Amino acid sequence: MISPMPTPAKREPVVRVHDVHKYFRRGSERLDVLKGLTLEVPDREFLGLMGPSGSGKTTLLNLIAGLDTPSEGEIWVADQMISGMSESQLARWRTRNVGFVFQFYHLLPVMTAYENVELPLLLLPLSARQRREQVKTALELVGLSDRLHHRPGQLSGGQQQRVGIARAIVTDPAILVADEPTGDLDARSAEEILDLLGELRESLEKTILLVTHDPRAARRTDRVLHLDKGVLVESGVADRAE
Amino acid sequence: MKLGILIFRNLRRNLLRSILTSLGTVVLVFVVTLVWSILAFLQAATEEKTRNLKAIVTERWSIPSRLPFSYAATLAEGAARSPQDVRPLDSMNWQFYGGTVDPEKISRESLIYAIASDPRKIPTMLDGLESLPPDQEEQLRKDVEKLAATRQGVIVGRNHLTALNKRIGDRFKLFGISTYMGIDLEFEIVGAFPPGRYDGLAAFNSDYYLNELDAYARRNNGRKHPLAEHSLNLVWLKLADTDAFNRVAEQIESSPSFNSPAVKCETAASGIASFLDAFRDLIWGMRWLLAPACVATLSLIIANAISISIRERRLELAVLKVLGFRPWQILTLVLGESVLLGSLSGLASAVATYAAVNWWMQGLKFPIAFFDAFFIPSDAMVWGFCVGAAASLAGSFLPAWSACRVKVADVFSKVA
Ligand SMILES: Nc1ncnc2c1ncn2[C@@H]1O[C@H](COP(=O)(O)OP(=O)(O)OP(=O)(O)O)[C@@H](O)[C@H]1O
Ligand SMILES: [Mg+2]
Repeated sequence: MISPMPTPAKREPVVRVHDVHKYFRRGSERLDVLKGLTLEVPDREFLGLMGPSGSGKTTLLNLIAGLDTPSEGEIWVADQMISGMSESQLARWRTRNVGFVFQFYHLLPVMTAYENVELPLLLLPLSARQRREQVKTALELVGLSDRLHHRPGQLSGGQQQRVGIARAIVTDPAILVADEPTGDLDARSAEEILDLLGELRESLEKTILLVTHDPRAARRTDRVLHLDKGVLVESGVADRAE
Repeated sequence: MKLGILIFRNLRRNLLRSILTSLGTVVLVFVVTLVWSILAFLQAATEEKTRNLKAIVTERWSIPSRLPFSYAATLAEGAARSPQDVRPLDSMNWQFYGGTVDPEKISRESLIYAIASDPRKIPTMLDGLESLPPDQEEQLRKDVEKLAATRQGVIVGRNHLTALNKRIGDRFKLFGISTYMGIDLEFEIVGAFPPGRYDGLAAFNSDYYLNELDAYARRNNGRKHPLAEHSLNLVWLKLADTDAFNRVAEQIESSPSFNSPAVKCETAASGIASFLDAFRDLIWGMRWLLAPACVATLSLIIANAISISIRERRLELAVLKVLGFRPWQILTLVLGESVLLGSLSGLASAVATYAAVNWWMQGLKFPIAFFDAFFIPSDAMVWGFCVGAAASLAGSFLPAWSACRVKVADVFSKVA
């Protein structure tokens, strides 16, 4: 259920990345994308990740979100070492623990907003009533209570991204990862989405990892990490938006 | 579960493609249904003829066949000598007789050909009389009893009643013609064959005939009638199966009792078998080439459609994976879609073919040899469903497998 988590006295890191390497093989060639990254993300932090194209931002995000496993090193999320999990363990883990927001929304076009948000819940042992309540709450939080039965094609980009965010939070995961969630939106919609993420972080106490190229978006975060050629070059605290 | 809704929605998404795939399935299942119906029909026909088959014993070297009546008893036993020998299940003697009601003016109407036999063999040995409607069967049983009890009785065909302008209970006299010259028989009509196949047949007691042949000699100073020693034309034997037939034929043809004249033993099914032999390659081709080719084509069509739709939906399937859907769930989703479409189209096609052929066309007219019309067996609905399901499963398995193996990280990375 979506409910505020008890606030710990001290902010424990919810994500810990320790000396992580990731390389891809293309034929005989080895492409080193991440080269010994170490970082910690405290609970309820709104973290921005920036860096030039091809620097490995998406790769890092995928590792933290359990879509891929590191070649070397360890990744811990909320006291679970996900870097050692099998593919099916990761799938199970993702459903409950990570919410994804994509640049291109990736909603299923044949399903309504309501059904799209309901999808991840189908994997959990919930009754129809419990599902209905959670879907409604999530869509309310993103301000789309009046668009339950619209198909993605009948919604604006900003609205589709809200549905995407509702789908990400509906299972009440500890962390939200967003890969350029505003990259495909006009300035106003982008502002609204960023406002929404900020609100959710406050009200639901989520930890949010945001990859962006947009300095204005980065300014909304608590802290920005810069990635270049697979290493963290500097980290600084950005201006707090609120 | 909710996945079912997703499957339905996906089918509806590209309606044209779904309809075309479905039509392809319908047409091919139609062809497979027809082919298999014909094969099943031929198989049933040959099997029926090899079970409870009828053997015919005739004179070996001469047509028409004329055997001494003394052969009858031994032939009825299948010439069995030792206890291990096979005996026929039943037998029937055929003694032909031809005569006219009006020796002055012989015409088609006045001529009657009849067989002399044991009356009680009529219902069991004559084709088609063992499976009459209950009322006709009961009537025939009564007529046969009456014939057995009436020495000079005769059961005639419907044509005779008309031609002779007689009714059951009436009497008439036949004057023997050609080889039967000199044997004149007086009959009382005790019954009539059920309408149909035996409208032209008349059957009377063998005892009466044999007696009249003897009486001829008495009337002619001991000179026997030329047919006296050759009044048996053929003997029918009923046998359990081809194996029994082969054994009995061997027993009869090797028996020293039938030296002069020699006899031969044949079966009606051997005629069918040799006829089917000519078609064997065709049937083989239909069964092992045409039908599998249809199923293979069907699989390819479905594989094509499914792999296109999977390619289009790679991202969607990857998103499902990101949300935590397991590979088998993705597999179910993709396979479910095509198997649902394939099996339902197959079923629909078979049901439509069944209805069209069996009800609307009243059978598929296909007059080769003794077969008149083919019908679609009701099993076809099961085949149709299974062929559709199997072909779609075969066609969609590889695309579905590759879909569920999709690595999400690759899909979302720039390189993919
Ligand atoms: N699955 C993969 N196989 C091979 N190479 C990959 C794979 N995923 C990423 N790469 C490579 O790793 C490098 C980093 O890619 P990544 O997507 O992480 O960059 P990014 O920082 O997200 O870039 P952008 O800002 O353009 O999204 C690129 O050179 C890319 O080609
Ligand atoms: Mg990226």
